[in-house]
Amino acid sequence: MSKADMQLARGPVVEEEIQLTLMELCQACGAAEEHVIAWVYEGVLEPLGDGPQKWHFTGQSLRRTRVALRLTRDLEVNPPGIALALDLLDEIAALQAQLQRAGMRCRGK
Amino acid sequence: MKFKDYYETLGVPRGATQDDIKRAYRKRARKYHPDVSKEPDAEARFKELGEAYAVLKDAEKRVAYDQMGSEWKAGQDFQPPPGWDAGFEFSGRGDGTDQSDFFEALFGRHARGGSQSGRHGRGQDHHAKVLIDLEDAYRGAQRSIFLRLPELDGQGHVAMRERRLDVSIPKGIHAGQHLRLAGQGEPGFGDGPPGDLYLEIGFNPHAQFRVDGRDVFLDLPLAPWEAALGCSVTAPTPEGSVHLTIPAESAAGRQLRLKGRGIPGNPPGDLYAVLTIVLPPAVGEAEKDAYRALAKAFDFNPRAEMKG
Repeated sequence: MSKADMQLARGPVVEEEIQLTLMELCQACGAAEEHVIAWVYEGVLEPLGDGPQKWHFTGQSLRRTRVALRLTRDLEVNPPGIALALDLLDEIAALQAQLQRAGMRCRGK
Repeated sequence: MKFKDYYETLGVPRGATQDDIKRAYRKRARKYHPDVSKEPDAEARFKELGEAYAVLKDAEKRVAYDQMGSEWKAGQDFQPPPGWDAGFEFSGRGDGTDQSDFFEALFGRHARGGSQSGRHGRGQDHHAKVLIDLEDAYRGAQRSIFLRLPELDGQGHVAMRERRLDVSIPKGIHAGQHLRLAGQGEPGFGDGPPGDLYLEIGFNPHAQFRVDGRDVFLDLPLAPWEAALGCSVTAPTPEGSVHLTIPAESAAGRQLRLKGRGIPGNPPGDLYAVLTIVLPPAVGEAEKDAYRALAKAFDFNPRAEMKG
């Protein structure tokens, strides 16, 4: 095995150590800027900073953007629909976490 | 290679209109979309749907597919008849990684989608998922993952190449979080830098512990007298066992919090022991007598609060 193979890849935990610019978020998710901007104006993502060029997204935005992108691409959901779907998905996740704490498992999870 | 019946996948007759096909796809796609579905095989089903729809929604591909005739049954061994695609040129883009052998044999494999233009030569960022054990989150770990990358061969065809990557999993990470591994994504174009790899972490299911964020939950069974009188027990944690003092008159469902014994971090999670009470079975006479003595000793009606 060569030395390169032995090297361990290391990296930061996105949700804790990273903020992403609009460009980085688009690059990370393969999303178009105009989509991400539309989602921000719908409240799907809440970056800090004034205006797209100064926006900073938290690491949690990565997962949300990926889901938004998949729902847009696969089901042609528009931005208000994405906002609604993500709110509902968050609610389901919170309920599932409660069940999980109580020791009950959900179907398919 | 097995034949795939794309009409069957979408649940439409062969004569379905484009509108029927779209409607059938949408309906099933909502049901099996991996982001919203609770079906255990959602991801596989959704891929099948996507592939069927990619063919049937595209007039050219649908005609070509129909040309093979309606005699084929799903799952039947299949080779495309020679020259079956004469006169067609498929220009649609595909994802390049998710298509079945069947799809590739018919329509060829396309390089990843056209979103590379305007990227100034930087390779695309990729995503992958790795499952770790809960214990790994307490200690940190090392995992090898195998990534399949599309690569152009000498003839300009896309071939899949497998690449091994050893990854350091930092202590304190938990399910749903991502690691960003710089430069481990798609190679750059020309002098462009490679993209990054985002690695999503998931936990293998654990027989004993449940996890919510950084908090860890454990069911701790007690005998009725242990719960009533209090006791000291040994309980497992992902970092080894601990001694727990159970207060007297503990009810089932009571949660004892071990502060900071969850997944490490800043702040660390907590470990909760959720008390359950297990009744010993009254099999022999001596055990039955013990229960009878209990009944005599207590003036206790568990249904006292019930009306009617």
